[in-house]
Amino acid sequence: MAVERDTADSGFGEVSRIKGIAFRYLSFGASVIGILALAALLVYVFVDAFDLANASPEWLLTYFLTLVAPFIGFCLYSAGDRELLGRTVLALGGGLLGTAVAFEAIELLVRPIPRLTWPVAYLFVVAVPVVGYVLFAGAQKPVGRTGFGLLGRPVGGAALGTAVAMLFIVFDMRLWFLVYTLGIFPAGLVRAYGGLRGAGRLAGLSVPIGVVGVVAAAFLRNVIRTYPTSPLIFAWTFGVPIAFAAATLVDSRGASRESAAAVGVVSLVAAGLGTTLGSSALPDGSTVLVLAATVAPTATYLHRTVESGEGLSGLALPVLLGGGALAGAAIVGAFGIPAPDPWLDPGFVTEAPSRNAVEAGLYPAIVGSVIIIAIVALLSFVLGVGAAVFLEEYTADTGIVGGITRIIQINIANLAAVPSVVYGLLGLGLFANLLGFGFGTAVTASLTLSLLILPITVISAQEAIRSVPNDLRQASYGMGATRWQTTKNVVLPEALPGILTGTILALGRAIGETAPLIMIGAATTVFSAPNDVWSRFSAMPMQIFAWSDFPQAEFRYGVVAAGVVTLLIVLLSMNATAIIIRNKMERGT
Amino acid sequence: MSQNDVPDTEAQTNAGGETRSDPDDSLVRTDVRATGSTGHGGSNETVVETRDLDVYYGDERAIDDVSMEIPEHQVTALIGPSGCGKSTFLRCVNRMNDLIDVARVEGTITLRGTDIYDSDVDPVALRRKVGMVFQKPNPFPKSIRDNVAYGLEVQGRDVTEDRIEESLRAAALWEEVKDQLDESGLALSGGQQQRLCIARAIAPDPEIVLMDEPTSALDPVAASKIEDLIDELVEDYTVVIVTHNMQQAARISDKTAVFLTGGELVEFDDTTTVFENPDDDRVEDYITGKFG
Repeated sequence: MAVERDTADSGFGEVSRIKGIAFRYLSFGASVIGILALAALLVYVFVDAFDLANASPEWLLTYFLTLVAPFIGFCLYSAGDRELLGRTVLALGGGLLGTAVAFEAIELLVRPIPRLTWPVAYLFVVAVPVVGYVLFAGAQKPVGRTGFGLLGRPVGGAALGTAVAMLFIVFDMRLWFLVYTLGIFPAGLVRAYGGLRGAGRLAGLSVPIGVVGVVAAAFLRNVIRTYPTSPLIFAWTFGVPIAFAAATLVDSRGASRESAAAVGVVSLVAAGLGTTLGSSALPDGSTVLVLAATVAPTATYLHRTVESGEGLSGLALPVLLGGGALAGAAIVGAFGIPAPDPWLDPGFVTEAPSRNAVEAGLYPAIVGSVIIIAIVALLSFVLGVGAAVFLEEYTADTGIVGGITRIIQINIANLAAVPSVVYGLLGLGLFANLLGFGFGTAVTASLTLSLLILPITVISAQEAIRSVPNDLRQASYGMGATRWQTTKNVVLPEALPGILTGTILALGRAIGETAPLIMIGAATTVFSAPNDVWSRFSAMPMQIFAWSDFPQAEFRYGVVAAGVVTLLIVLLSMNATAIIIRNKMERGT
Repeated sequence: MSQNDVPDTEAQTNAGGETRSDPDDSLVRTDVRATGSTGHGGSNETVVETRDLDVYYGDERAIDDVSMEIPEHQVTALIGPSGCGKSTFLRCVNRMNDLIDVARVEGTITLRGTDIYDSDVDPVALRRKVGMVFQKPNPFPKSIRDNVAYGLEVQGRDVTEDRIEESLRAAALWEEVKDQLDESGLALSGGQQQRLCIARAIAPDPEIVLMDEPTSALDPVAASKIEDLIDELVEDYTVVIVTHNMQQAARISDKTAVFLTGGELVEFDDTTTVFENPDDDRVEDYITGKFG
């Protein structure tokens, strides 16, 4: 048979695949066209934000050798794959040649490429994808997993801690202190005690206790005159519970009491250190929170890694990266290599806007965005899940009720298609004017954006609830559960990951909205962070939009780019947090 | 949406086909003789009684004028071809049909003399007395312990380790899972999952256990374990089981009800009588595999 292969007719006839192959490549093109367009834009934004256009080849080379090369080495070591090593070297080397030649050819023959040099092009076209690929390969193996896990915890903890701390710029810390002490803390105690004793009824008391406590706190807020200092409040309401949670987590992994206690103490001490440190940008004492959120997960993670002994050498990754960055900085300093002057620096995220491009900062707008998103997340989640549960679990499909339900359904779907400007008008008329929440206040903005994304949350929550297998509902009803019990115990836990996915996507839209904010009269620029929800605020997209209109080129290129990158980082870290929480929940079931 | 789908009651299963492909009725008869009457004691007191029961899905009649009396502490099997209303009948007994918007029930069903479709009967309270096991094993995506405890929890009763062990023992599952009570119920094999579902159904100590083709999704070994289990359960509970497998009905039941297409109850008698000497020719034809 093999001999006859070169003859055209195998005896089976032939099947044409040309259309199929053409379709396959067209589909591929369709799937990457958007990604490529966005990637090209992001490259320019990054180049502007970090002033890479002025980065000298020496500077790039230094950091490539001190930071990127060791990192690639670490990933390859973790992947432990000789073939991958060969491919990486080939890609980096061949890419260097290819990029340089292609870049020069385009400059020479077609047209000059603006604001890019070929080393920068190499950085984005070859180095970043290669690093991404080896990172992916390395992260699959224990060493890499450990390294990135260790890296992720302090970074994630710090980000989350900072975000929560920012909320206290606006929300009343003393009220929170009372709410925690009178409501959340006793309720948590009762619940934990009930769980320990296996007394379900006692645990059930925790909700009423919590509610009573919160109401009492609201009443006592203005009665009680003396409060602990804010570092103490942070230590008591965040430091202690976080340390306790870390210790409990370690304890539940079957570790000795001593190591559990050690982890708890370390976290608590770290939080305690925060009382002595201060930060100009964040509320007084919130370093306690940031430190506790950073150290506690890191400590539990270290404990687990050391205990399991798996991928121990991965723990060197932070040292490797830190050392690399320091070494790079030392070399750049020693040899006087001209370094780029990034627009996106610590000052940019901690300072107020300014007429002067170099001093311009995004801090008030970041705070504004974080606060709005927090309120929007809470509101749209509660309203969205409530509406979805009602529509999916409580209404009939037939008869008059079914008809009304269908009409509501169709209209919710239509609401999702209403332009955001229209929602802005609604916010202006309803919240700002009629209800008197004020023009351009954080409350008005939050309510407007909540309404804007509500249809998306409702629809995605409905999808998630609908995808819960009917078998489970039947099983629950068959056990003599009421509709509420079935919803609470079976449907919602099962649907929650899906609901969260939808909410995350919707929040991503809310954080980037500009048109409704303009409509409700939000300020394009404010010079101090809002200090309560009734004050005027600006959000990141508003501020970026305002800068893009400035006459100075520094604003239009540098500052706007830095703002866009900050917005993207905030958005992506928000999504990442939500995705991690969701995955944890999925694994939990 | 839960209310949307009319239950897929009579899924085609191989169990039914077995008989069909083997028209030799002596097989069935031998089986009956071999185990004889399963001879569960039972007081013969009626627990559930239906009179002139009609069930409609919209305009379609699923059950046609069924009257029968289900005796206490015995296994009553409901057999019949697909779409004959066996499962619908079963779901009337614990009012699961209430969850289907278009379902309408006429006639009466009494549980120990109380009309369960009376306006002052709460279907949720009724279901706490009448447990149910479904065709497909459907443990909750929770731990084994939480699965068994679910009924007690929703009924607001105290969950004790003893009760969990007792229920798992009654479902012949304790020895296999006693070391993994905190693991997910979904980690078990299909047969174990179904026994977990039985443990879950009996944990709140219902009076009646309804089983809707509990073995049709299982392999023969797992199915035979469930059958043995039913044999033991009937000491404490009244069991009503829908099955497609006529040998199974013959093996485990004391009474057999044969439904035929259109939701008609054509024969209801002692299992031995139904299988050996049925009154109705259609029943004989069905049992021997001439149709169905």
